Amino acid sequence: MDKTSKRMIKVLIAFSTLFISLMVYLSYFEIFQSSKIVNNNYNKRQWINEEYVLRGIIADRNGKTLTYSEKKENGQVRYYPFKEVYSHIIGYSFKEYGKAGLESSYNKELLHIKENPIQEITEKIIGPKEKGNNLILAIDHEIQSYAEEKLRGKKGAIVLLNPKNGEIYAMVSKPDFDPSTIKKQWNEIIEDKNSPLLNRATMGLYAPGSIFKTITATAALENKDVEKTFDCKGSINIDGYILKDYKGVAHGKLDMKRALEVSCNVFFSQIGLKLGEEKLRNTAENYMFNKHVPFDLQVKKSIFPKINMTRPELGASAIGQGKILVTPLNMAMVAGAIANDGEMMKPILVKEVIDPKGRTIKMNHSQVLSKTSSKVVAEEIKTMMISVVEKGSGKNARIKNIKVAGKTGTAENQTEKEHGWFIGFAPANDPKVAIAVVLENIGITGGKSAAPIARDVMATALNRLR
Amino acid sequence: MIKKFFSYRMPQNLIFLIDILALLLLYFYKDGFDQFILVSGILLTFIIYISNFMLLKTSSGDHYIFLIMTMLVSIGIIMIYRIDPMFGFRQITWFGVGIATFFLFYTVIKNIQGWENFIKLYVGLSLILFLSTLVFGAKIKGATNWIKIGGFTFQPAEIIKILFVFFLAAYYSSKEKIGNTYIFLGIVYSYIGFLFIQRDLGTAMIFYFVFMTIFYIFEEDRKLIYYNIAGAVVIGVLSYFLVSHVKVRVITWIDPWSYMDTKGYQITQSLFAIASGGFFGTGIGLGHPEFIPEVHTDFIFSAICEEMGIFGGIGVIMLFFILVYRGFKIALGQHHQFFKIIALGMTTMLGFQAFIIIGGVIKMIPLTGVTLPFVSYGGSSLVSSFAALGILQVASEEVEFEEEEQNG
Repeated sequence: MDKTSKRMIKVLIAFSTLFISLMVYLSYFEIFQSSKIVNNNYNKRQWINEEYVLRGIIADRNGKTLTYSEKKENGQVRYYPFKEVYSHIIGYSFKEYGKAGLESSYNKELLHIKENPIQEITEKIIGPKEKGNNLILAIDHEIQSYAEEKLRGKKGAIVLLNPKNGEIYAMVSKPDFDPSTIKKQWNEIIEDKNSPLLNRATMGLYAPGSIFKTITATAALENKDVEKTFDCKGSINIDGYILKDYKGVAHGKLDMKRALEVSCNVFFSQIGLKLGEEKLRNTAENYMFNKHVPFDLQVKKSIFPKINMTRPELGASAIGQGKILVTPLNMAMVAGAIANDGEMMKPILVKEVIDPKGRTIKMNHSQVLSKTSSKVVAEEIKTMMISVVEKGSGKNARIKNIKVAGKTGTAENQTEKEHGWFIGFAPANDPKVAIAVVLENIGITGGKSAAPIARDVMATALNRLR
Repeated sequence: MIKKFFSYRMPQNLIFLIDILALLLLYFYKDGFDQFILVSGILLTFIIYISNFMLLKTSSGDHYIFLIMTMLVSIGIIMIYRIDPMFGFRQITWFGVGIATFFLFYTVIKNIQGWENFIKLYVGLSLILFLSTLVFGAKIKGATNWIKIGGFTFQPAEIIKILFVFFLAAYYSSKEKIGNTYIFLGIVYSYIGFLFIQRDLGTAMIFYFVFMTIFYIFEEDRKLIYYNIAGAVVIGVLSYFLVSHVKVRVITWIDPWSYMDTKGYQITQSLFAIASGGFFGTGIGLGHPEFIPEVHTDFIFSAICEEMGIFGGIGVIMLFFILVYRGFKIALGQHHQFFKIIALGMTTMLGFQAFIIIGGVIKMIPLTGVTLPFVSYGGSSLVSSFAALGILQVASEEVEFEEEEQNG
C-alpha cells in the first residue's frame, strides 16, 4: 500500500472515532444526565400536561387533604390551605417560579405523566384522564401542626419518625414561607438572609455537638478491647490543644454510662483517640454519614471528613465538634436506629401514590437501610440514654408515666451562639417515635432549649398514635 | 422486471416503505383530510423512486451513497413536515431541485475533462463570491453570510465550499499552476479569514478540517503540517479571548444552565428535547420539538432524537458514518489523482459538517450554527450537498485520463 493510502486509512480511523464518540456521548447523556435535565423547571414540556390535567391531591396518612387544585375559567388554581405548616414538605408549583418540595419530586405522578410510551398512546386514544394521581403521605396532620406551632418564631428543624418502619410523622423547618402567597412575596423571600426556602430538616448541615457521642459510644461498644473508664479532670491536653468540659467541671472517675449522662467531653475524646479515626468513621458511615440517604425530597449527606485527622481533630470529632456536620433527618434516623435494635430504616415521606379511582399505583415499602450495631450494643446505648433523661442533662425531656431515652447537644459553630440539640425516642421499652430537634444559634444548652420541645412533640405524638 | 419492482431486496423499496408509513402517520396525526400531505407524499416517493432508478441505469459507480442520501432526506422531510407542513412541502420541492442538481453536476463533471487545470478560475470565483457577500451581504441569525437577489436568499459559502475542494484538488494534482506552498497556504487562510469576518464559525471550521485532511494526506513537507496545527491552536485560544462571539460559544458549551434565559437558551432547549425523547422517542408528532428555536434547520437532530429516540439519532449518525466510509472507499479506489482528492474533499466536507452540528446540539463540542447535510431545511444547503454528492458519484466511477496526462 502506498503512502497516500496509508494516510487516508489513518484519517478514516480518526473519522470513525469522531462518529463513535458521538454515539457514545449520546448514550451516556441519555443514561446518566437526561433524568435530571427533564425535570428542570425551564423544560416547558413539564408544563404541557398542566393545562388539561387537574393536578393531584396531597393528603396526610389519615386522608386529610393538604393541597388540592380547582378548575377555574382560565386554567386551574392550586390551594395550600395549611400555609406554612407544609412549606418545606409540599413546596409549591408555579409557572413563574418553578417547583419545590414534593410538588417538584412527584410532579410526574401528580400529573400522571407516563414513562411508558405505549401506555401513553393507549391513553391518548381512549381519551385523556382529566385528573392527576394523588399522594398519601406518612405525615400525621395533627402532629405536624403541633410541631410547627412549637417551633414557630425560632430557627431550626424537627423530624419525628417511626423507628420501626421509617415513616415520618412530622418534619418542620423554620423559618419558612407561605406557599399560598409566595407569588406576592417572592423577591422578599429570596432576598431574606435567613433563607426561608431552605428545608433545614434535610438540607441543613449542622455541627452535632454532644449528640454525636451516641455514635462514638456505638463505636466503643462494638470494639470490645477499648478501655471504657477514665478520670476526668475537667480538661485535657491533646498535643497542645486544650479540650475543656462544659464550664470546666471535673467529673472525676467515671464509666461510659455516667459519662453520657453528664456528657463528659474529656471521656469521649479519649475514647475517640483510643478508637482511632478509621473505626470511628466506619461507625459513622454505618449511620449513613458520607452516604446518600434515599428520600422523597432532596437530602444532603452528613459529613465525617475523609482526611487524615490530627489527634486534636480526632478528639474534637469524637464529641461532635470539628468538621463533622449532620442533617436533622439523619440524626432522627440515628435515634431511630438505636431504638430499633441497631437497624436503621429507610425514611418514608410519601406512603402511596393512588390514581383518581383510588387504585394504588406505587407504594413505598419499609426497608432496612443500614445495620448500625448489634442488638446488644443498641440495648446498652438505650439504657444509657434513658439515664441521660432520668438523671443527666436531658431531664427536661421527661414525660409522665413514659420512659424517654435521649441525648442532648450544645454545638459550637462559627457564630458565637451554639446550636441546641436533642435526639431521642419514646417509650424506651417499646419505641413508637424517634425525634431530632435542632435550634439554630439559640445560645443555650440543648437540655434547656431543645429537650422541652422534643418532650412536648413526643408526648403529643404518643397521645395521638395510641 | 415487475417482480424486481416489488422486491424487498431492492433497498429503495425499503425506503419507499418507510416513507409511506411515516406519511400515513402524519396523515392521521393532523385532524381532517390534509390533501397537502397526499400531494407531498406522492411527490416525494415518486422523486425517490425515479431518481434511484435513473442512477442505477446511468452510473457504473457506487450506488450506496445515493441510497444513504435518500434515507437521510426522507427522515429530514418527515421531521420538517411534522414541525411545519409548509416547510415540509417546500423542502420536497427543494429535494426535486436537488436531484436535478445532482444529475446536472454528475453529467457536466463527467463529460468535461481537465478540471484540474482551472485552479485560477476556482480561486477567482470564490473571491468574487466572498467580496459580494461582504458588500451585499444580509445579516441573518447574527452571521453576515447571505445574499439577497430579488426575494430569493442564498448562502454563497455553500458554493464556495465546492470551489474550495476543487481548488485543493487542483493544487495537489498539478502543482505547477501555483508554485509556492506559502501562496497556497495564504489563499487557504484567506478563505477561512473571510468566513471568520462573516461570523460563520461553523463553516470556517469545516473549511479548516477539509483543508487539514487533504494537507495531511498529500503534503510532502511534513513539518509544515505541525506548524499549521500549532498555528490553529494559537489562533483558537487567542480568538477565545479577543472575539466575543467565540467566547460566548465556549461559555455556553461549558455551562449553558447558568444562561438558560439568554445565551444558553437554544442549547438547553435542545438538551431538554433530547432528554425527553429517551431511547425510543415519544413517537412522531407526540413530542414538542417546536420549543427549540431554529428546530427545522440547525436543531433538526434534536427533534429527531426527541421523537424517534436516541436510537433514531444513532441511526442518523450511522448513516453519515456509512456515507463517510463509502466516500473513503471511493477515494482509495480512484486512480485519477484529481478525483481522488475531490472524493476525499467532498466526503470530509459532508462528514465534518454532520459531526460539527450533531456534536454541537448534543453539547459534546461547542455549538456552531451549520446545517445537517441532507436533513436540515434549507435550499442552498440542500442543493450544494446534492452537488457535492453528484461530484462524488463521478469520482466513484472509473475516470478516463486525458491523453496528455502523465501517470497521475
